[in-house]
Amino acid sequence: MGTTQTFISGNRDKRRTLVVIFLRGGADGLNMVAPLQDDGYYNARPRIAISRGAAIPLDGFYGLNPLLKDLLSAYQDGALAIIHAAGSEDNTRSHFEAQDLMEHGGLVGGGWLGRFMRAHGAGTGGPLAAVAVGKAVPESLRGAPATVFQSLDDFSLGADPQPLLKALGELYGAEKDKLGDAGRYTLEAAHRIATLRTSLYQPANGARYGTDGFSQGLLQIARLIKGRVGLEAASLDLKGWDSHFGQSTVMDPLMTRLAKGLAAFYQDLGREMETTTVVIMTEFGRRLAENSAFGTDHGRGSVMFVLGGGVKGGRVLGKWPGLSKEVLEGPGDVPVVNNYRNVLAPILGRHGTGDSLGQVFPGFELTPMELYGAVA
Amino acid sequence: MNLPRRKFLKAGAGSLALLAAGCDQLPHELRTFFAIETRREGPFGAPTKTTIDPITHALNRCGFGARPGDYDRIRKLSSSSEEAAAAYLEQQLAPEKLDDERAELEARRFETLSEPLGELFEYQQELLQNELRRATVVRAVFSERQLYEVMVEFWSDHFNIDPSKGDCKWLKVADDRDVIRKHALGRFPEMLRASALSPAMLWYLDGRVNRRERAADKPNENYARELLELHTLGVHGGYSQQDVMEVARCLSGWTVRSTEEKPYFQIGKVEFHPKRHDFGAKVVLGHELPAAPAGLKPDELVRRGQQELEQVLELATRHPATAQHIATKLCRRFIADEPPADAVQAVAAVFSGTTGDIRATLRALFATEEFQRERGTKFKRPFEFVISALRATDAQTDASLQIIDYLIRMGHVPFGYPTPDGYPQQPEPWMGTLLWRWNFAVALSQNRIKGTRVDIAALRRNAGGEDALVAHMLGRKPTREEGQAYHDSGDGLALLLASPAFQWC
Repeated sequence: MGTTQTFISGNRDKRRTLVVIFLRGGADGLNMVAPLQDDGYYNARPRIAISRGAAIPLDGFYGLNPLLKDLLSAYQDGALAIIHAAGSEDNTRSHFEAQDLMEHGGLVGGGWLGRFMRAHGAGTGGPLAAVAVGKAVPESLRGAPATVFQSLDDFSLGADPQPLLKALGELYGAEKDKLGDAGRYTLEAAHRIATLRTSLYQPANGARYGTDGFSQGLLQIARLIKGRVGLEAASLDLKGWDSHFGQSTVMDPLMTRLAKGLAAFYQDLGREMETTTVVIMTEFGRRLAENSAFGTDHGRGSVMFVLGGGVKGGRVLGKWPGLSKEVLEGPGDVPVVNNYRNVLAPILGRHGTGDSLGQVFPGFELTPMELYGAVA
Repeated sequence: MNLPRRKFLKAGAGSLALLAAGCDQLPHELRTFFAIETRREGPFGAPTKTTIDPITHALNRCGFGARPGDYDRIRKLSSSSEEAAAAYLEQQLAPEKLDDERAELEARRFETLSEPLGELFEYQQELLQNELRRATVVRAVFSERQLYEVMVEFWSDHFNIDPSKGDCKWLKVADDRDVIRKHALGRFPEMLRASALSPAMLWYLDGRVNRRERAADKPNENYARELLELHTLGVHGGYSQQDVMEVARCLSGWTVRSTEEKPYFQIGKVEFHPKRHDFGAKVVLGHELPAAPAGLKPDELVRRGQQELEQVLELATRHPATAQHIATKLCRRFIADEPPADAVQAVAAVFSGTTGDIRATLRALFATEEFQRERGTKFKRPFEFVISALRATDAQTDASLQIIDYLIRMGHVPFGYPTPDGYPQQPEPWMGTLLWRWNFAVALSQNRIKGTRVDIAALRRNAGGEDALVAHMLGRKPTREEGQAYHDSGDGLALLLASPAFQWC
């Protein structure tokens, strides 16, 4: 079985892992992280706004939805940063178009995460460098080798792989060139996966994952990270945020699931959060004004979260545009002040793009946000 | 009625009623049944040497590996294996003379492939993408025109288009058919022209928005740059940034009707708009193209714009760097990762001398000493690995999405590369794919892939025993270690497919 002396890659297994969580359906950033001190918010949402009394104060201006309370400890630890009025330049307010643009990173071929993997991983990417939990590879990962998985059994080499692995070990062990190295790394990865599969997973630090698909997905990702199988990017969706009517019945359970899942993951990974970044994004936010059905319609700016990976958190970043009539866009939407690429760019830089950020986000002039440094 | 009479009779009386209804109405299962009828069954011979001989080399390097029976068939073409291999390659250079019924039958189930451009928009993009990918796999597996399929792969990379951009999701189907497959063994200048005016390419590299309607408009250089850098001269081919801009000016005004426009039946139509063209004087690669004289009539302006496109493409095609660039890429594909300079020169000379006759160019390549010598030294890319495994095991496959999923995991699914440079030919980026190759080997040998079946007993029987089966799979007799590993592995077929030797071609 794997020892500390054996590696699965040429870089002595030094890796960072980026976990991308996409909230599909357009999540209402205004009710997740409410601008408590902006009267425009309360004027436009007389029935569905998060009251100043109920919200968990973050910084004197914003307040966290109480259903997201499990995120508070990470925020207070300084490991969770929030970016408001974030999103993309797509103003079609169409789920499909907006997700497509955001995942591709513009009108280009392939996905931003796929291009990132190609740009930084050429020749070093292992077999499990990128995974998508679910049933299909998301568009963001398009263009990179990526594995869709639902359980670790998907990685198995048959019921009893040991004789085959041993025989392969003999043949690849005798190879002297790059293929020999690749063979040895792969054998080690196969052993680590076999170990993971056959052992019971015990989350650390008393973390408790829920039984829902989102929490279980995060648990699988945590296993892969701790199993040192070479995971560099993982993608996971939390669907169903399209809250046109009865917003609270739609969003409340999702917020609870999101916060509990992330809190368990954060606790479970412990110090490994230093090298693990979780980004949470959505295709667009909701209209400022509530509609007659206690819901909100498709809008523009929403909220993004960045957890771990050395982010300088405990703060809400990005300029708040305000909610006055002149500021609102189109039918009355929070404008996008912080392009999502400017949030992702510094993270990708930290995860190893080097000079190739331009390849990841072609045709866009980046002004990366200062996620890791001081902002007044 | 598309099926030959012979198959008809084999189908048996029970099927006659269905057949009378016309083949187009045939149920899926029955069509597959016909396809199986064309299988070459029975005993087959395997290589008997300890090194890869010229016949196996030709099968591995110029195709996707041997199916049972291929080796024998070629062996009989001449008394010497060198001459037999040469005769085989000569056959491969004339694919239109090879009967390819099986592959055509297998591909026919993917009906969107033959839809005209204007109809493609009627389909879900996912269906189009799946059919295009699956058809590419079944053609590579079953086609007798192996070199042709290899060249289709080569040019798909050379003129890479990622269908996920804009309307390419629909238009790539037509590009694959009308640009790549139409010209894969034809003439380079004609393929380049078809590509330049391919609606998918106009979308993918933004040619459709390259316009100069007002003096302040800057041309969009995207296609012009890739035309010079990737499609023709090559990155160090001696063109300048000024050339890129001038080429972009020459090509301004060409566009394609998008799905956002009406009428719908015109979607995908390529048009030249004189009002969007820059009619000023240009200098391209040292050649002067004078400005259009004043007072030209509209149809004269159109002709003039079209002429400029032809001139630019001809200048690029005839540039000596283009011959060098294409020859280098071909030699990297067919000879070695570091293409030998002498071979490149010989191949480039024929490319130039024939103005891009692809068959003549390949014939020259196959005649080089370097091609003959470099056997078993190229690392198979994942697509080649998967296809050669399916061929070697005589697998019946409908190229189900599970096969496609394996290719996605290995990062080499057809039509899945985001940038215009196409999937890399060098081995390094593919070294991390072994785990999935092994996983695929086990799944294939244990018949755990939906829609794909391997009959190991028949394979062993027809090969004439274990030793011959191993030699067939590896293209040579096994080493002592390989023989030992084969017996110790618990799954000999998976071991062979996963072995180092099977990763090379």
